[in-house]
Amino acid sequence: MPIQLDLTDDQALFHETTARFIEAELPREKTREWHERPEGFDPGWLAKAAELGWFSMLVPEEAGGGSVSDNPLADAALVAEELGRQVQPGPFVPMNVALAAIARHGDPARRAELVPAGVAGQAIVTWAATDAAGDWDLGAGVTVEARGDALVVTGERGHVQDAAQADWLLVAATRDGEPVQVLVPRDAEGVTVTPLATLDLARRLAHVRLEAVAVPADALVGGGAEALWHQHRQAVVLNLAETVGAMDELFTMTVEYAKDRVAFGRPIGSFQALKHLMADMALWLEVSKAAATAAIDAVGRDAEDAAEVAAMAAAAVGEHGNELAQQCLQVHGGIGYTWEHDLHLLMRRIQSNSVLFGSPTWHREQLCRVHGLGEEVTR
Amino acid sequence: MSAPTPTAEALEAYRAEVRAWLADNLPERQGPVLRAAHEVTPEQLAEERALQAKLYEAGYLGITVPKEYGGQGLTGAHQRIWQEESARYALPAPGGVASHVTLGIVLPTLLAHASEEQKRDWIPKLLRGDELWCQLLSEPGAGSDLAGILTRATRDGDVWVLNGTKVWSSGALAADYGICLARTDWDVPKHRGLTWFKVPLRDPRVTVRPIREINGSAEFCEEFLDDVVVGDDMVIGAVNDGWTVANTMLTAERSGGAGAGAAPPAAPRGRRRLAPDLVRLAEQRGLERDGATRQLIARAHISDWLQGQLLKRIGAGLAAGQLNPAAVSLVKLRTGIHDPQRAAIAMEIAGRNGIAWPADDDAASAPAIDFLNGRIMSIAGGSNEIQRNIVSERLLGLPREPSVDSDKPFREVLRDAKSWGKRAGS
Repeated sequence: MPIQLDLTDDQALFHETTARFIEAELPREKTREWHERPEGFDPGWLAKAAELGWFSMLVPEEAGGGSVSDNPLADAALVAEELGRQVQPGPFVPMNVALAAIARHGDPARRAELVPAGVAGQAIVTWAATDAAGDWDLGAGVTVEARGDALVVTGERGHVQDAAQADWLLVAATRDGEPVQVLVPRDAEGVTVTPLATLDLARRLAHVRLEAVAVPADALVGGGAEALWHQHRQAVVLNLAETVGAMDELFTMTVEYAKDRVAFGRPIGSFQALKHLMADMALWLEVSKAAATAAIDAVGRDAEDAAEVAAMAAAAVGEHGNELAQQCLQVHGGIGYTWEHDLHLLMRRIQSNSVLFGSPTWHREQLCRVHGLGEEVTR
Repeated sequence: MSAPTPTAEALEAYRAEVRAWLADNLPERQGPVLRAAHEVTPEQLAEERALQAKLYEAGYLGITVPKEYGGQGLTGAHQRIWQEESARYALPAPGGVASHVTLGIVLPTLLAHASEEQKRDWIPKLLRGDELWCQLLSEPGAGSDLAGILTRATRDGDVWVLNGTKVWSSGALAADYGICLARTDWDVPKHRGLTWFKVPLRDPRVTVRPIREINGSAEFCEEFLDDVVVGDDMVIGAVNDGWTVANTMLTAERSGGAGAGAAPPAAPRGRRRLAPDLVRLAEQRGLERDGATRQLIARAHISDWLQGQLLKRIGAGLAAGQLNPAAVSLVKLRTGIHDPQRAAIAMEIAGRNGIAWPADDDAASAPAIDFLNGRIMSIAGGSNEIQRNIVSERLLGLPREPSVDSDKPFREVLRDAKSWGKRAGS
């Protein structure tokens, strides 16, 4: 059953189509074939996924996008949930967020060139949002300076998803101290992509160094700090929807195992010590679904409390996700500690997601700031 | 219920009507929602009953209750509108928690299991505030193991004679009647020999005594039933089928009283404030910029929010038939986990201000009171452990533990329990 209750018929169909596509193209056991390969995924697969609408949802219709309901973020979350269940590779979250930003704030000519190609999965776009340590800095770690008709981009971005496979990087930067974003071709001179070793075997993350990279003036994407925060909230929500999908899958797997596995002459799921643990896990999961649903709604509508709700949901899902995954391993015992078992794939994804767009601790501090506690009002 | 789905226009018209009536007829609430028990004076009780009757006559009590039982026969959407609009008004609460028990727990139980005649006779009186009910449920020897009660109802000619001791009855001092679980057959397994009765609390053979709790107040009572006689017209549900009725009642209780008639306090619409009680405590000690304290405040605020979101999700999922009814135990369980954690956070932030305060400053005692009350919901209405059993068995479908008492006559259960210690370790 999907995380979000009350789906429209179109949404339910879209969700089902997505699940079937993944099952046919790249089910979890097949993702293992890509774990050792540095490129992480097949661009042909990504283009096929694009045909289902995976990269069009957050892009407005007039810019060549479109979605199945009037809350595109809710539709994208339906996909994210399934990506989590099957621990899919690829830049789903950063690519959607970047394409939406380019469609809204990019130069019209560049937008007309790049957005349809991205929506069709022909161009791979990722979002280089965080500083060298992977922390959110509103672009402070990269400067954009004018040099004649062109712009020069210098600085570092950390933990950039699928940077090595991307054609374009949407880089968070500053110009004269003000947050901006700038489109940089991955193969431009001065761009160095250094892949990182990753906990999540299906997730490619890289360090990106930009050394006086020259781009044309129309590479600038506007919207300033407000656009960056908006994108961050979208990324947070899609990321946590993915986590909840992974949690749901892992927990279902664990309950089934507890019913099947026999020890001391009984299924281990009949022992109260494990039943009570699993009841708590069921609660963490249900609460995470509730939090995700609320965040999808608030951020999708751009509600007044969107920043607060996103922070609360991210802190809750991050924390509950990790404790759930740990206890799923505990219930499985030795078999869960083997490489062949899929448990670790989900556990790795959940832990990785819990810090990718801000750790639970970061989001709790963010919540205090949104409320202006101690006068440290940032926004 | 079976009321037709109202149009958006009809609901907005209803909202306008509710809003106007509230503004004309009820004062806005001054203090916080009634949360702990008070000893209610007879004058206060009469005043509150009059207010409830006024609410009933205007059509705002029993909004979803069928018309033939004195309700309005409207939809859950109407009920929600009432809850939203009335959240900031001082609603009547006759007898403190007694009206919550009457409308939130007893009413849905009666709607599901009372006879047609009983429903037509009793329910309008419940709604109007003429009859306040309490539960006569737990006993000194039976709390979590509710089916192990010892109160007996014995057949004597054409009447029933009840004897036993009940305890932890909320609001019994103000209540007129109790819905009482008694054993009517001792020679069958424990779940199959139970029956429910309506018992008049003003009967001279019923003694009601308040119990003083660890927080110093006396919300709960214990009751002694000495040869209380009731007729067959006071039997609720079928004789010996009391466990079916009990499950309805416990589900209503665990859903936080969000039943047909009660109006659980909905959060007033508008902007959330960051855990105001904790921010105040932090400010008193100059800790509002302390990183560790900020984490605690955020944790509590998020947990408060999650309570509401979980309730909303489970409520919507149940209404749409998308969730298993046992999911209400998730809400109960989370409350039982959240409350003590929340209280512990407040005590940590309050520090020494939580253990000593100016004697004339009542508000300063709040962290201490919450600390003492923190485990009410983790014990009452089925402990956390009982909720975990329900979630794991009914929601997750995990197998039951082997049982030593559910398949043999209750009389033998009592006998065998006495020799239990001799078997340990054998």
